[in-house]
Amino acid sequence: KALSSAPGTAQQLQVEILDAKTREKLCFLDKVEPHATIAEIKNLFTKSHPQWYPTRQSLRLDPKGKSLKDEDVLQKLPVGTTATLYFRDLGAQISWVTVFLTEYTGPLFIYLLFYFRVPFIYGHKYDFTSSRHTVVHLACICHSFHYIKRLLETLFVHRFSHGTMPLRNIFKNCTYYWGFAAWMAYYINHPLYTPPTYGAQQVKLALAIFVICQLGNFSIHMALRDLRPAGSKTRKIPYPTKNPFTWLFLLVSCPNYTYELGSWISFALMTQCLPVALFSLVGFTQMTIWAKGKHRSYLKEFRDYPPLRMPIIPFLL
Amino acid sequence: MAVAAATAASRGNGGGGGRAGAGEASGARKKKGPGPLATAYLVIYNVVMTAGWLVIAVGLVRAYLAKGSYHSLYYSIEKPLKFFQTGALLEILHCAIGIVPSSVVLTSFQVMSRVFLIWAVTHSVKEVQSEDSVLLFVIAWTITEIIRYSFYTFSLLNHLPYLIKWARYTLFIVLYPMGVSGELLTIYAALPFVRQAGLYSISLPNKYNFSFDYYAFLILIMISYIPLPQLYFHMIHQRRKVLSHTEEHKKFE
Repeated sequence: KALSSAPGTAQQLQVEILDAKTREKLCFLDKVEPHATIAEIKNLFTKSHPQWYPTRQSLRLDPKGKSLKDEDVLQKLPVGTTATLYFRDLGAQISWVTVFLTEYTGPLFIYLLFYFRVPFIYGHKYDFTSSRHTVVHLACICHSFHYIKRLLETLFVHRFSHGTMPLRNIFKNCTYYWGFAAWMAYYINHPLYTPPTYGAQQVKLALAIFVICQLGNFSIHMALRDLRPAGSKTRKIPYPTKNPFTWLFLLVSCPNYTYELGSWISFALMTQCLPVALFSLVGFTQMTIWAKGKHRSYLKEFRDYPPLRMPIIPFLL
Repeated sequence: MAVAAATAASRGNGGGGGRAGAGEASGARKKKGPGPLATAYLVIYNVVMTAGWLVIAVGLVRAYLAKGSYHSLYYSIEKPLKFFQTGALLEILHCAIGIVPSSVVLTSFQVMSRVFLIWAVTHSVKEVQSEDSVLLFVIAWTITEIIRYSFYTFSLLNHLPYLIKWARYTLFIVLYPMGVSGELLTIYAALPFVRQAGLYSISLPNKYNFSFDYYAFLILIMISYIPLPQLYFHMIHQRRKVLSHTEEHKKFE
């Protein structure tokens, strides 16, 4: 009776899920609605295999093919009355929000440990002393502001398209952020720290650039958020808005990365600290890879993508 | 350093002859391989490198016979050793432009660690040049490289004698630990001189607010050798697969 072809009754489908590597039959789902989404199939699969929660599942039509999207509808896929899906375990997953919060909270606190010269970092005679250089205090404010801004953006601004990432990323990311934060904080707050060669002039200029870049970066994050309504996964070309900081969209696809690079270069200039410059360089390399990828997907998806735009550096890169 | 001695069963260098050990990029992708011009260049490159390391081998033997002892032979082959080992940097380029199917990252790691040992340790700390540990890794590298480069040459010409393949996948069993020991002992011997001279080190205060302790860095390098035994056993496991695969092929000829 489930297969009756009476008008208005869509034929129900069956779904079998096989392991992509061993082809072992893992699950058989009976009486599935044709308009069911992959997300719903994943939920049903979890019932029989609770250790594989939905975000950990990759389901595909071909064992070596691309993962199906959660919003794909079963009947729109090239399947017969019995759909065969192949399962691959993506490994333990962790939410993007958790990763961001952890990787940003670390540098915030670690830097402060060095700023307050907590015991066992520098010689004991320096414990809890304070630097006599203004720039050192300014640097602490800037660094802390930067990471507080990032934490707030993670909680209130960003809209993530993917919910999770592999668990091992959190170790990799935290090592990077926390490691570099400790390394640069060590030198900036060191009793033997040498202030910038051009003194207050250099510091003021660097600070101005830093503030501009932080405002710019925030403006771009807000503009990107407004581009996509809550809960939707629509993709649109970002354009400049009334906010002058967003006018950088005329020249680059990822001005948020451009501003971020500017922030760190200016921080390196402000502190005249080589480890900060090295951190900027590594960050620049990674952001350029991301920007190029994003730029490429924009070009692929939108025929009318503005030709003047470069991925991250106007006219150059 | 760490992976310097691991070149025995790893890395491709033109021609896919035989599945390799730990280091080679996944050959699962059906890459069309280097074109005729690239193949000609690679054959020349590999022949030149084979010849170079043979020169070093002969140099060692002659020096030994002339001196009557195996101590301080480094000085007799210092120049060709530096030239040909440094020349291996080209292999990074080969991977980068795609004429060799190996991973750029892995190849860079391996070549840079060799170059590091030659220049940043042996060349820079003159006092270790007379150490026997230097001879240990030079011999290991020399034999390994002669076999490796001739392996690649023959593979590119699609005529790989089983002997070369066998040698590549067997001799590493002795050469790998030999090379690693030589390298570690040399770095260890260099430590007191680095400390004494403050070699390549910079301390605070300075206007770039940066410091570097080469002594501590060398200790970290030595620590990085720790995962090597694991790699070694993996290569031994790979060896069984590769050599038995060839044996079976021969049965059906």
